[in-house]
Amino acid sequence: MESFLHYLSMPYLLTGILITLQATALGFFGGFALGLLLAGMALSRNRVVSGVARTYSVIFRGTPLVLQLVFVFTALPHAGVVLSPIMAAGVALAANEATFFAEIFRSAVLGVDKGQTDAARAVGLRPGTVLRRIIGPQAARAAIPAIGSEAVSTMKNSALASIIAVPELTLRSNQLASATFDYFSIFFASGVMYLILTGAITGLQLTIERALDLSRVGRRGRGRPAVPSTVNGASVIETPLATKELTATRKVNGAVSRAEAVGRARVALTINDVHKAFADHEVLRGIDLEIRKGEVVALLGPSGSGKSTLLRLINHLETLDTGKISFDGIEVGYRDAGVPLPEREVARQRVDAGVGMVFQHFNLFGHLTARENVAVPLRWVHRVPKDEALAAADHLLGRVGLSARGHALPRQLSGGQQQRVGIARALAGRPQVLLLDEPTSALDPELVQEVLEVVRSLAVDDGLTMLIATHQLGFARDVADRVVFMADGTVLEQGPPQQVLDNPKHPTAVRFLRAVHTVEV
Amino acid sequence: MLNRLLRPAALLASAGAITLLATACGGGSPATSGNAPAYPALASSPTCSQLRTQNPDLAGKTLTNAINPHTPGYESISVSDPTKYEGFDIDLGEAIGECLGFKVSYLPVAFDAMLPTLQSGQANFIISDIYATKERAASADFITYSKVNDGVLVAAGNPKKLTGIDDSLCGTTTALNKGFVEVPLVDAQSAKCQAAGKPPAQTALFDNNADCVQAILSGRADSYINDVNTVARFVKDQPDKLARATAVTLPYSIGIAVPKGQLPIRNAFTAALTEIQKSGLQTQLSKKWELDESAIEAPSLVTAS
Repeated sequence: MESFLHYLSMPYLLTGILITLQATALGFFGGFALGLLLAGMALSRNRVVSGVARTYSVIFRGTPLVLQLVFVFTALPHAGVVLSPIMAAGVALAANEATFFAEIFRSAVLGVDKGQTDAARAVGLRPGTVLRRIIGPQAARAAIPAIGSEAVSTMKNSALASIIAVPELTLRSNQLASATFDYFSIFFASGVMYLILTGAITGLQLTIERALDLSRVGRRGRGRPAVPSTVNGASVIETPLATKELTATRKVNGAVSRAEAVGRARVALTINDVHKAFADHEVLRGIDLEIRKGEVVALLGPSGSGKSTLLRLINHLETLDTGKISFDGIEVGYRDAGVPLPEREVARQRVDAGVGMVFQHFNLFGHLTARENVAVPLRWVHRVPKDEALAAADHLLGRVGLSARGHALPRQLSGGQQQRVGIARALAGRPQVLLLDEPTSALDPELVQEVLEVVRSLAVDDGLTMLIATHQLGFARDVADRVVFMADGTVLEQGPPQQVLDNPKHPTAVRFLRAVHTVEV
Repeated sequence: MLNRLLRPAALLASAGAITLLATACGGGSPATSGNAPAYPALASSPTCSQLRTQNPDLAGKTLTNAINPHTPGYESISVSDPTKYEGFDIDLGEAIGECLGFKVSYLPVAFDAMLPTLQSGQANFIISDIYATKERAASADFITYSKVNDGVLVAAGNPKKLTGIDDSLCGTTTALNKGFVEVPLVDAQSAKCQAAGKPPAQTALFDNNADCVQAILSGRADSYINDVNTVARFVKDQPDKLARATAVTLPYSIGIAVPKGQLPIRNAFTAALTEIQKSGLQTQLSKKWELDESAIEAPSLVTAS
């Protein structure tokens, strides 16, 4: 015991700890940086680039670290690269760890829901910003436990550097044991030292995890006293300000003039002979539509008729096969001659065209509060200062009846509330045209109404141009200026709601409407 | 949001920066011996003075000695000051250095890593109780300085009744370092055992002598075969647990390894070694480190051709 304590406090071994830390730091940070690069390359669409990354991984993950250490230390000098033992250990450790880091990063990025990217692109974020603000923070959270265990593993692996003369803890313990024959006291002491070091890394990992833990964020209210959520009379507070009667009245009073006004308005969106196929499956087979400014168009049709695909083509979340989509001259995704544009320029075009989108599954940014979600387009697309953007976000949340829930994370909100936040986020960029992809399909029946009320108010109060894919016939009848019925990738018929919904001509439309009516009744 | 993410990241990064900085400044191998010459008579001898004039490339330099410092008496860290190496080989290298005018730094590597380290240029020479065999001479030129006498280290009382590299090894395990010349000798004996219908003589291979000795102490191995002085030292340190079974004569010499075909350094080392032997310094050093059974041998070359 006495000799154990003697070795535990022996300067020779304590200095060894310092060198162990150096080797670990070189391996960890070098591996981290190289791993980021490798993960980026592996995720690249360029086959050569991803192939290089894969080959690297096969080699460095598939050979023992001991060989890599010896290679860097004794083989590289033959090629004229002479590294000191500690640098050789750092290079070999980093080269080896990089493959593991790359896999951690890659799986963390792939683990972020694709809807997050869709939503980020739809609000007009550039690819770099999407990565930095949306994918990165969520992937980083997911990766922290694995990164922590990789740090511990790097530290333990650094002991192998003892074979290439790095005077770290293990080498010193070995040499000391050889000189003193005090084998067990020494290795027990160095084992305890390693435990303290790896324990510290684990502690750091847990601290970071705790600091970034989203389930704690809501409780702390992000630095503000938590606004009491709607305990009593929740429905009263949460119902959007625009009431049914009010909009109904406006509808009746303005019906005639509205139809006339819409008819006279300029064309906001032109869709010309649009075709789209996924692999062999032809989803859209020649769609032609003109949407006028201020017009509300309901897209109806059975599942698989191509409604969602059409909406995603309009703001270029998907690429066109043939045809043309133009916002008052702006073809999102293409140059004048139909040449595809890089994504960062497409992002600017979405903003210029003023196209917003609301998703079936909300796609709120999971790591951001409601108000931060709404502020995203303002802060990171329109470069509005943070405070101003959040104030505007609060105002928008008020419009959708969610003033009290601004500090809640998406996971703490009901589906209906999430969709209202989604709408507020889409509105934040002041869109000219709003695309709504089955905004109520993922909601429980009792939550549908609160979302429809919000959409209704946008049509009536704001005069926003909207294209809504929906199965809500009553809503389409109330709100839409025109109903477009799609099936099998074509428009079967279109016209004022009364005409299409009450007197459908095409047999498929008749069948579909009858089926939906049966369900609704 | 970003702040909350960045804070721990910044903490990590600065921790990294600090350690990297420390790497740039510190580290390195244990310090070389002090400035005052340990062997003034040798250094001022006419031979050494002349050698320094003839080898201006070596004078004032620091050369690196690759060692496997797990052999107390030959090379190990100093218990009183673990930042220094000590032993017969260490003193011999320092003496050659003083004669030729260079200082010595050390690179402690695994036994079987010493020759690759020399070949890679990470080290300039090896003085680490290494036997000069023809096979090893494929990787380096050797200048011999002592005859080889091997001893067999066993647990106290020699429970397996070992008598050397002979049939007594059949069915036992010998702990050896990777790359030891004794490895093929025991393997050859194993073939004889099996030809005679006996169980094989097995080897357990390690990176350093301390691990070999531990293997005997823990009962995982029955013997360890190496330089007789090394064996004697191990017995002296733990006489209640270890014993020396017998001596084995091997047709080898212990040598200094220098890079293949580099005649200037090889010739200079040979001349310095000759002077050290002639002056009686090698005998003094053997006594100092209690290498009682060493047999000094006039320098001769072992090379591949």
